[in-house]
Amino acid sequence: MRRWPWPRRWPWPRSLAARTALVLLVGLAVVQGLGLTIHALDTLDLQRLAQARDIGVRVASVYRTVVTTSPAQRATLLHDLELPAGLSAKLATAAPDAALRATPPFARQIRTNMWLVSMPKLLRPIQVVILGALNTRRVLIGLRLPDGPWLNATVKVYPPSVWHSRTFLLAFVLMTAAAALLTLWAVRRLTAPVTTLAAAAERLGRDVNAAPLPEDGPAEVATAAAAFNLMAARIRRFVQDRTFMLTAIGHDLRTPITRLKLRTEFLEDEDLRAKMQADLDELEAMVSATLAFGRDIATSEPVSAIDLAVLARTVLDEALDARPDIAERLHYEGPEHLTVRARSIALKRAIANLVANAVNHGGSARVLVRPPHSGVVTVEIEDEGPGIPPAELDRVFQPFHRIESSRNRETGGVGLGLPIARNILRAHGGDVTLANRPMGGARATVSLPA
Amino acid sequence: MPHILVIDDDREIRDLLARFLERHSFRVTAARDGREARRAWSNGHYHLVVLDLMLPGESGLDLARWLRGQSPVPIVMLTAMGEETDRIIGLELGADDYLPKPFNPRELLARIRAVLRRAGETEVQRADAGVRSLRFGGWLLEPARRRLLNPEGVEVALTGGEYDLLVAMVERANRVLTRDMLLDLLRGRQAGPFDRAIDVAVSRLRRKLEDDGRNAQLIKTVRGGGYVLAASVERL
Repeated sequence: MRRWPWPRRWPWPRSLAARTALVLLVGLAVVQGLGLTIHALDTLDLQRLAQARDIGVRVASVYRTVVTTSPAQRATLLHDLELPAGLSAKLATAAPDAALRATPPFARQIRTNMWLVSMPKLLRPIQVVILGALNTRRVLIGLRLPDGPWLNATVKVYPPSVWHSRTFLLAFVLMTAAAALLTLWAVRRLTAPVTTLAAAAERLGRDVNAAPLPEDGPAEVATAAAAFNLMAARIRRFVQDRTFMLTAIGHDLRTPITRLKLRTEFLEDEDLRAKMQADLDELEAMVSATLAFGRDIATSEPVSAIDLAVLARTVLDEALDARPDIAERLHYEGPEHLTVRARSIALKRAIANLVANAVNHGGSARVLVRPPHSGVVTVEIEDEGPGIPPAELDRVFQPFHRIESSRNRETGGVGLGLPIARNILRAHGGDVTLANRPMGGARATVSLPA
Repeated sequence: MPHILVIDDDREIRDLLARFLERHSFRVTAARDGREARRAWSNGHYHLVVLDLMLPGESGLDLARWLRGQSPVPIVMLTAMGEETDRIIGLELGADDYLPKPFNPRELLARIRAVLRRAGETEVQRADAGVRSLRFGGWLLEPARRRLLNPEGVEVALTGGEYDLLVAMVERANRVLTRDMLLDLLRGRQAGPFDRAIDVAVSRLRRKLEDDGRNAQLIKTVRGGGYVLAASVERL
């Protein structure tokens, strides 16, 4: 699979839901940003228009008052006029002169609005000068009266405010938040089937008889669920066939082995009898190991609370009973009690297989039970034997595989002890791995969900 | 001479088993299926029945149920290899012991002798053995599943020897059991090393039952070499 070329400092989320949500939320943010910009520009335009209209009408009103007054009384009138705040006007002989640049659209808007104030054509100003702009805070307007003098007005301009409305901002934030929440909810809902499918696959890995997936929901999800269920059914049939075959073989072998065992009892040669019985015991052990491997011992038993620490010590005690000669080389380290939830017969078999492996190949066994750490209980089984060739470390978990050097009756079993242990532990949601210890010998590390 | 009824569908096994048991001073009658077994049953008096669970026609379980209806004769069942369910069903039906096939003839001999020895005890006790759960001092012993639960309901693992010893002691609670009596009770199940390790098994058992001071001295040592499990036992 190609890696997504994402910079390292920007962590690209791993989950499908998070990725989809991220893409949608970024999209939402861009759209909202654009909308907000458009809205702001629109507001600016409107405010400018309103001010232009305001200025134009007010100045024109003052002009009308002045122009309809006789020239001698104009100065007194202007003085007495109560002009609105921000507007001042005086008579002058020349047009206003200031280092203010005119902004054509604004000036045009002011000029247009001035003609909204009705006045006879003859009284209209013969010259109009408009200087300044929205961002200059004031506008100078010079209007030349038909009889000569200028009426120069200074109007204070208020800078436009985009955020004139608090409720608008609040509404906008609420709307964005609601959209984001909806997006998150929808993404979660839509990607949930993927999680369900993954969980079902995980369950199937632990238990082939796990309940089938519900085949409902959107068409694609239903199809995937149906395909998954079909696959599960096929795996189940395959496992059942294998189990039936192994059970049948085991069943058919029981009778001849039983007969042979009985026959050896009638042998006069003590030595021969002992040897034949040993052979038969071995044969029986192989058959029962094969059967145990074939049968789903790990899943047919109910899960219950078990004291793992006591179980580990019991397994060691049993190893000791079988091999009193290595009593000094069997050790337990760990808590006195540690409760886990597991299938007790299966779990005991797994630990016993690992201890037997350590005793048979390493001549010793040290069992370390470690209390739960981030939800995992660890059991380590160490020996002081020759260890395992690195290339064999994982292959020894394959059924019937044995390290060449151990292919003899002294140390070799059937080659099923480790595969059975791994099967059992994986069925518990745990695992077992083998490694060589730096100071010699091998170590099997068992992990179990706490 | 104890008379044993052997029921197995395989002619060779039947004959070999009969010869083997006769060699060890038992009288043996053999039957190949349920029909023959019933006929043999009505014609003789038997001290013990060895019954194969897998029979053609009428199953071993049905036959065991029928036999239980007739008399409390001890039954040793031969089951499929380690089939947990067979074992449990067999024990629930009142088999006194079971042995997975292929069994060791000497092991079978030892079990037969042990069951016959136990049969000497009171009927009630024997009929209960191996079927009903036993509660003592907060602990629960479940023979049907061969497991022990502590007062918190957590399973506490036992070795085979510890389990057999505990069953023997719980079934005879508040009675002093000498080392010899315990050996005698357990020899049928345990071969070899257990004989010299009875004290070891007791001390291990004690540790498992008492190590946190919850049940101080559930198993008491009696002066003169014996043990007693001091607790009232409730049969569930």
